[in-house]
Amino acid sequence: MDLSLLQALEKEIILEVLRRDKQLRIIEEDRIRRMKCELQELRRRGAKSLARQYGERTCARCQRPLGKFWNSGAVCRGCSHRICSKCRVGVGAANWKCTVCHAYRDVKIRSGDWFLEEKGKKFPAITDKYETVGETLLKTYNVLSHISVVPPTPPPQLDYQFLSRSGDLKHAQPFTKSVENLMVSFTSHIKKISTSQNDVRDLLRVNNSPRGIKYSNQKSLSDTDINKCGILCKVPSLPNLFKKNKDSDQEGSSTGAEEETSFSSEYSGGRRSSNSSVSTECGLFESVSVAGELELAIAYNANSSCLEITVGACRGLTHGDTKKRKCHPYVKLYVLPEKSSKMKTTVKKNATDPVYNEIFKYQIDRNLLFGKRLQATVWHAGTLKRKVFLGHVLVPLDGWRYEDKSSQCFTWYPLCPKIESPDGGTVE
Amino acid sequence: MSTFFETLQFIVAITMTDGDYDYLIKLLALGDSGVGKTTFLYRYTDNKFNPKFITTVGIDFREKRVMYTASNPNGTTTGKTFKVHLQLWDTAGQERFRSLTTAFFRDAMGFLLMFDLTSQQSFLNVRNWMSQLQANAYCENPDIVLVGNKADLADQREVQEKQAKELADKYGIPYFETSAATGAEVDKAVITLLDLVMKRMEQCVDKPPAEPASGNGATKLGNAQPNERKCAC
Repeated sequence: MDLSLLQALEKEIILEVLRRDKQLRIIEEDRIRRMKCELQELRRRGAKSLARQYGERTCARCQRPLGKFWNSGAVCRGCSHRICSKCRVGVGAANWKCTVCHAYRDVKIRSGDWFLEEKGKKFPAITDKYETVGETLLKTYNVLSHISVVPPTPPPQLDYQFLSRSGDLKHAQPFTKSVENLMVSFTSHIKKISTSQNDVRDLLRVNNSPRGIKYSNQKSLSDTDINKCGILCKVPSLPNLFKKNKDSDQEGSSTGAEEETSFSSEYSGGRRSSNSSVSTECGLFESVSVAGELELAIAYNANSSCLEITVGACRGLTHGDTKKRKCHPYVKLYVLPEKSSKMKTTVKKNATDPVYNEIFKYQIDRNLLFGKRLQATVWHAGTLKRKVFLGHVLVPLDGWRYEDKSSQCFTWYPLCPKIESPDGGTVE
Repeated sequence: MSTFFETLQFIVAITMTDGDYDYLIKLLALGDSGVGKTTFLYRYTDNKFNPKFITTVGIDFREKRVMYTASNPNGTTTGKTFKVHLQLWDTAGQERFRSLTTAFFRDAMGFLLMFDLTSQQSFLNVRNWMSQLQANAYCENPDIVLVGNKADLADQREVQEKQAKELADKYGIPYFETSAATGAEVDKAVITLLDLVMKRMEQCVDKPPAEPASGNGATKLGNAQPNERKCAC
């Protein structure tokens, strides 16, 4: 399938449809993520840990002891655990399932996993069955239109400005870099395409413009937010539950999101710096292109009811002072939506890979974490209190597995560009 | 004025873009150019009719939230209602978009195969569309509803109900005569398809995973849904 045969206008119309589709898909992915987190929670609560003695006759779900003759439990056909009569769902003596197996089935239906499975059977050649045709096309053609330096759906009134500045755009360092990357992956994918001509799926991994131009700033903010969720989800990989395909799901979707974020951040960063006169968002603070990652560890201490955020390190930051090629980065933390809680690390001089290892404690009741997000912003501390935005990370704090030890380990988050007000808060 | 519209757009965006639904079901309308796929979907989502013929460029989609009440195999309702977010893909009937549109078949869970009751040719082409579906849809026998549109134009009718019904029976799919102009049977056709897809989902997860193509699932479903094709997907 090839859109190049179509007229430019037609192509734009189609891409616009695909962008709308992407909006829908982002919401859907977020919904699925929440659903699977809930399922994992349910499963975790019931899971028989190794520490518990297996010989003990208890229901695998509610842990209530089972009798020898009375309420002796029965084996669930789904998970082969012994289940008491209260933890069964479904009718009949034969067709019941334990609560977890039932929830698992439910999630499989509601998340559309059943469909992906069926599709995978018919098209086993699809490398990424989670990617829709629309998604692939959008990635391909949004990117291709970058190569030809036609901006992705510019608003009509800005059209000429974009074109006149396309030179700058092309020479903006991060952009050329990403074009190079892109060409590499493009050529590698071309080979694949030629082998399976009719197939569109794996053209390009690298994505696409930020929808920042077309959609409101708020939108693109929440998008990065959701991307973060995707990454977040990878961390507590659902143990055993989503055995083979579920794991690859987590893996696949989150790496996709990472790539996407990094590319879009690089590009929009480049755009922002080269088009400062066009975009209104630039007057507020200085910004350079965004690159690099931030290492964070988040834990909740139930004894002191403190959220403990450890800022580990950053790597691959861009120079805050591009002329002198200097970078004095520090990390600022907020728990959104309130901004009462400002936490800052020390400033590290002359470092694009600074190491902080600073722990911040934020007193908050566990159940108040619902709906809260951690915003970590990396700034360059310039001379005379001038600061330059180097990127940020948004981590939702609800649905976070605080008991899970693995989630308390350090995780690298790619930095994203964002519209910031001078005090470092979100413009919402 | 423009800010007003922007605000309005934003409100619409909020109502349609929250994740507060239980299922996302993707349906797709296909058929010859001019049979009324776009107007059919427009009637379904907005309950309006646009008599002007504007050819669809490649693909498009419309959305609608509906409440779905789950029913037991024996027909009684369980009383459980779900919020379903329908994504209704609209495809261009024109030949030159064919490779694009057929590629989208793969990502749809159910299909509205449409023809024009006033055009014998569009009815004859249903066979071609069926084979396109078999080749490109997510499985060999996806859920399809055959839709004969423009039922209101009785004096121009070229396809008889009996004819179409026979074809639908041959494929084992439901058939509806709809009119996007009057809205007749439009909702029913979509809901029937939604129902088929919802049942399909259950079948797909309940069949034993070890033996995907065995008759086990079919016998179990056979007594529940006599007209249902077995889930060989």
